[in-house]
Amino acid sequence: MDTYTLHDVGDQALLVEFENKISIEVNRKVVALKRALEEQRLFGVGEMVPTYRSLLLHYDPLKADPEQLKEAIAQSVRHLDLSALPKAIVTEIPVLYEGEYALDLEEIARIEGKTEEEIIRIHSQSDYYVYMLGFAPGHPYTARFENPFSFKRRETPRVKIPAGSIVVQLGLSDIIPFEQPCGWNIIGTTPLLACDYRKDNPFLLKAGQWIRHIPVDKAEFLDIKRRVELGCYQPRTYEKEG
Amino acid sequence: MGILVENPGVLTTVQDGGRFGYEQFGVSPSGPMDRVSFQTANILVGNPRDASALEVTLLGPALRFEQENVIAITGGDMAPQLDGQPLPMNCAVLVKAGSVLRLGAARTGCRTYLAFAGGLEVPVVMGSRATGVQNKMGGLQGRKLAKGDRVGFSSPRSSLPRMEQRRAEPLEARGKERVLRVILGPQEDAFTAQGIETFLSQPYTITNDFDRMGCRLDGPVIQHKGDGNIISDGMVTGAIQVPTSGLPIIMLAERQTVGGYTKIAAVISADLPVIGQARPGDIIRFQAVSVAQAHQAWREQQARLEELEQKLNGPLPEKKSRENHYRISLNGKEYQLSIQVTES
Repeated sequence: MDTYTLHDVGDQALLVEFENKISIEVNRKVVALKRALEEQRLFGVGEMVPTYRSLLLHYDPLKADPEQLKEAIAQSVRHLDLSALPKAIVTEIPVLYEGEYALDLEEIARIEGKTEEEIIRIHSQSDYYVYMLGFAPGHPYTARFENPFSFKRRETPRVKIPAGSIVVQLGLSDIIPFEQPCGWNIIGTTPLLACDYRKDNPFLLKAGQWIRHIPVDKAEFLDIKRRVELGCYQPRTYEKEG
Repeated sequence: MGILVENPGVLTTVQDGGRFGYEQFGVSPSGPMDRVSFQTANILVGNPRDASALEVTLLGPALRFEQENVIAITGGDMAPQLDGQPLPMNCAVLVKAGSVLRLGAARTGCRTYLAFAGGLEVPVVMGSRATGVQNKMGGLQGRKLAKGDRVGFSSPRSSLPRMEQRRAEPLEARGKERVLRVILGPQEDAFTAQGIETFLSQPYTITNDFDRMGCRLDGPVIQHKGDGNIISDGMVTGAIQVPTSGLPIIMLAERQTVGGYTKIAAVISADLPVIGQARPGDIIRFQAVSVAQAHQAWREQQARLEELEQKLNGPLPEKKSRENHYRISLNGKEYQLSIQVTES
């Protein structure tokens, strides 16, 4: 049986926590529990927010009894079946790794003692797992599990970096959905929008999915960017092997 | 057509009940800071409780009505004036086209709500009209009102049924000190017993760092067992984060959806309007209650709104009527007579 703890969070939410670590095994339990609870359509349960190791459930106290919800959660955890998770989806993220679109690439290469080409290869040849979305709309927290970089944040954060920036540290890589301050190094830029308010489904990614960075040249970057603006670009997705 | 913003005030935004269902994608719920005053204003003008309305902060706007409509003003008292004459709050009033409504500085509370019969005509973004200033989303192009903006009415009215009964209790008067009831957790274990004791016994002052995202407090440092960091998790509106500094931050309507600091407690839902109407310099004390007590407080608050809604917007009481049928004979001729008895 899985070890978990259950907390009240204020008077209208519950928090289910699995092991206190960042790992794909733990995160898959969170994703599986969310699916299992969604399928039960529990009366009075609102949105569920999955994060690295925990699931937050909002509920309406006029409709749901928290003690009954806790029992339903306990049942679901007991019968958690990770093999029932759907096949993982990989979304391809085109990335331009050059010039003003990759402000820190040169410095990253210097820190790592590698060429820029080798850095691009490392970044684009592993799949990154999407642990969760948060901080800003559509902002993914992703990580790869082999060959992490050795550096962390920059000494001085930048006051503003543009939307679409791909920022990295250690084994982590994030897509910046909107202009924001940021202390991470910029390795490249994607023409895709992590969040597009104009769309019915505004979000590029979802917790539990994977991404793969695909190097593109300036001409391809501008072409995709234009098609994204016109609303006619469909990112390539496929089922993850294995 | 609707209103023309002649002066926007400090921070005037379109709000509705909030944007729900997108927290898992990083979208904060937004919505009103004082839900009770907001919903009361909507009920007064015959709207669904969570219809779109304006939230005004500290110093009010000047709005020219380009079309008449029934409105209601609730929450903090900003001494509203219509064409230079004082305008009563907490009741439905008809404002004629051409009139100018002016709100001044808040004399009580911090936030005032202006509801318009039929609501406001702004686009729906992810199921909501609420402005998320941080996310530049919803409302009027995702921002606060600016001079020269026009906000349309969805379906304005010249009058409403039971117009003269449309009044509600004003905002409860409070001094500088207020008590917020909280439920401890979910990371209360990250604090020493001394830390919890400090939090629940000492006064905290609201700093100037107080916006729709959150409210930073100043006061005695709350002692952690560790460094105050956790693996980021989800949170609720009213969550009280205590970062490494040991000084609490109450997370409010436009809070982030996830956070990496320990949360010592969360303000109960029924008390969120209290913080929504507080101001920098006010003193907060925290009182721990049980989830059952919080639910009781919430039920009572909801019941009061429900009662007002039923009274003003519920079905009109049926007029009792009765028909009596008679067959009468007059000069050898038969007549059918029906008499309808009504009680008004």
